Amino acid sequence: MTFTIILCYLSLLLFLGLFAGRLLKKSSSDFFLASRGIGPFMLLMSVFGTTMTAFALIGSTGKTFDQGIGVYGLMASWSGIIHAAIFFLVGAKVWALGKKHGYVTQLGYFRSRYQSDGLALLLFPLVVCFVILYLLMGVIGAGRFIEGVTPETFSESTVVTTVSLAAAPADLKVPDGWKERVSLKDGNLSVTGSLHPKRKGLFMKMSKAPEWKKAVGALIAKAPRGAVPKWAGMAIVCLVVLFYVFFGGMRATAWANTMQTLVFMVMGLIAFYVITKALGGPVEASKKLLANETKNSVMAREGLIGKWQFLTYCFIPLSVGMFPHLFQHWLTARKASNFKLTVVAHPICILITWVPCVLLGMWAFGVLPEGTNPNAVLGMMVARYSGEALAGLIGAGVLAAIMSSMDSQFLCLSSLFTNDIISHHFGKGKISDEKKILLGRGFVVAIVLICYLIGLSNTQSVFDLGIWCFTGFAGLFPILFAALYWKRSNKQGAIAGVLALAVLEATCYFLSLAEGEGEFLLLGMMPVTFIVGITTAVMVIVTLLTPPPDEEIVEKFFPAKN
Amino acid sequence: MITQSSFKSSAATESRQTTVRTLVIGLILLLAVLHHDWWWWDAKEPLVLGFMPIGLAWHAGISLAAGLVGLVAVSFCWPAHLDEEDGGGESASTEDNPGEAAPASAEDDAPAATDTGKEEAS
Repeated sequence: MTFTIILCYLSLLLFLGLFAGRLLKKSSSDFFLASRGIGPFMLLMSVFGTTMTAFALIGSTGKTFDQGIGVYGLMASWSGIIHAAIFFLVGAKVWALGKKHGYVTQLGYFRSRYQSDGLALLLFPLVVCFVILYLLMGVIGAGRFIEGVTPETFSESTVVTTVSLAAAPADLKVPDGWKERVSLKDGNLSVTGSLHPKRKGLFMKMSKAPEWKKAVGALIAKAPRGAVPKWAGMAIVCLVVLFYVFFGGMRATAWANTMQTLVFMVMGLIAFYVITKALGGPVEASKKLLANETKNSVMAREGLIGKWQFLTYCFIPLSVGMFPHLFQHWLTARKASNFKLTVVAHPICILITWVPCVLLGMWAFGVLPEGTNPNAVLGMMVARYSGEALAGLIGAGVLAAIMSSMDSQFLCLSSLFTNDIISHHFGKGKISDEKKILLGRGFVVAIVLICYLIGLSNTQSVFDLGIWCFTGFAGLFPILFAALYWKRSNKQGAIAGVLALAVLEATCYFLSLAEGEGEFLLLGMMPVTFIVGITTAVMVIVTLLTPPPDEEIVEKFFPAKN
Repeated sequence: MITQSSFKSSAATESRQTTVRTLVIGLILLLAVLHHDWWWWDAKEPLVLGFMPIGLAWHAGISLAAGLVGLVAVSFCWPAHLDEEDGGGESASTEDNPGEAAPASAEDDAPAATDTGKEEAS
């Protein structure tokens, strides 16, 4: 049932891609920027959908379970303030410059503003690397998620899995439905048919004996899961996104993002309603948790989040200003005033998506066992308090959140390769628009394939590295801000800033490895604080020590207002 | 021709815009300060609306306030010169930006706008 609902949703996206493809004009501006014709509502939805990942639903619930309600202030309300300010101060201005000078990518703007191919070439590997890490989190996350929500979809009913268990525990209570499948003979515990990790809790409940729990762990690891495997889930999601980006370019991406954003917002609210109702209503759920002295710590921040960490987290949302895929979305707006709705409604959309999830995570802490994997919290709450149909709908919502970022990232990487490398360096004025679309599509296929293959071979290290891609983008933000608002800023300062960022980022990453597990903080603060501060200082000092940019450039980018 | 009265009126508008701009910057800074609510740090109660811990309700309020500040900003401080680009500002040429795609022409824009409109209406 769950898998069928997910498949229906994915089919809808394929249809949307096909439809958008029929409207595609044969111009690269249409493929990469939807002919700069996106209206205010679609701009809001595509920008919001692009900035929200699966974390908005699964991560926010899990992180609240782990760190309490402070997670909202840490991640959501800071983002509301800072993202809106960036859309106002940076997004609309970038749009105007892009329209006036014909930019398709972020690097095209930097190259032109600083008159430096070197700066663009220096930024290219950094930006591509950060985006690929971000993308991989989505690809792997989608594969893992589908595997997690589709137990017994392809159940193997005859296979027998056996592990050793010296003797049957005295308190063993096998539930009725499982008596035929579970057997204990001659020191062996066997189960017939598939066994998904989701069933672990059920098996653990059968006995409290430590040797039993150990045997169950081994059994779960050894038995076939009967679910859609991770490689297949990743392949399905990649193919669907590839299909609509390939055929419909940016227009399909913007349409799909609009639909996906609405889907994940609505599904989050439905999950909240159903689960809250099952818990006896929001007032009852909160009262019960408050009365539980051992568990009500999640209703505050004391001991769960540091005050300096809370303050310095404000630098992380700056990353949004430098996301190349978001930069491309800004360029798609039909007019500057289309940004107004995004500036006003973005913090409200964050509120609508995050508050229900944070409340669910908080209440989950009161009802689920401690030590539950935070990423499984939403899934467990859905499984416990709703039916399979809702699980399928929530599954579609989570995939929508993942794919609404992935599609823009695939298209953005393709734009960077096509426009900033091939077209700029190897085909100045020689590549026709049709060839650009062909190249763009070729790169989309290549990037999807590369990400899929990396996703197959690697898992955890990508997530560990992923945190650093946000820090990296945030560290590059001062360079963009200076380019837009500081006439005196020059290429030497920008290059020095990028180099400083690369060195600092690598240093902090290796320091975090040495530190081991847990959140890596410097003097109790987020490392991004130091990275943004030092990068800005280096950029400003080098700029002031080197000649100012040409008058011509200043006039081009800072024309006198009439 | 610029008359004395039109000059005075434009100076008054500019002065009002500067005041509102300062106000918006002040409001954003105020939000940033209010965001760091040490005073609710270990408070689990009161429960706003009977279910939302005060620390969470406070930050939900910050998000709402951010939307309101955004509304003031776009209503009174919107950089009008950006909208002038809509009406077909200076066009980029390929000589201007070798290697960059030319900006969408008016012809390109019109049907796309219709497409978008259709989509949004549905």
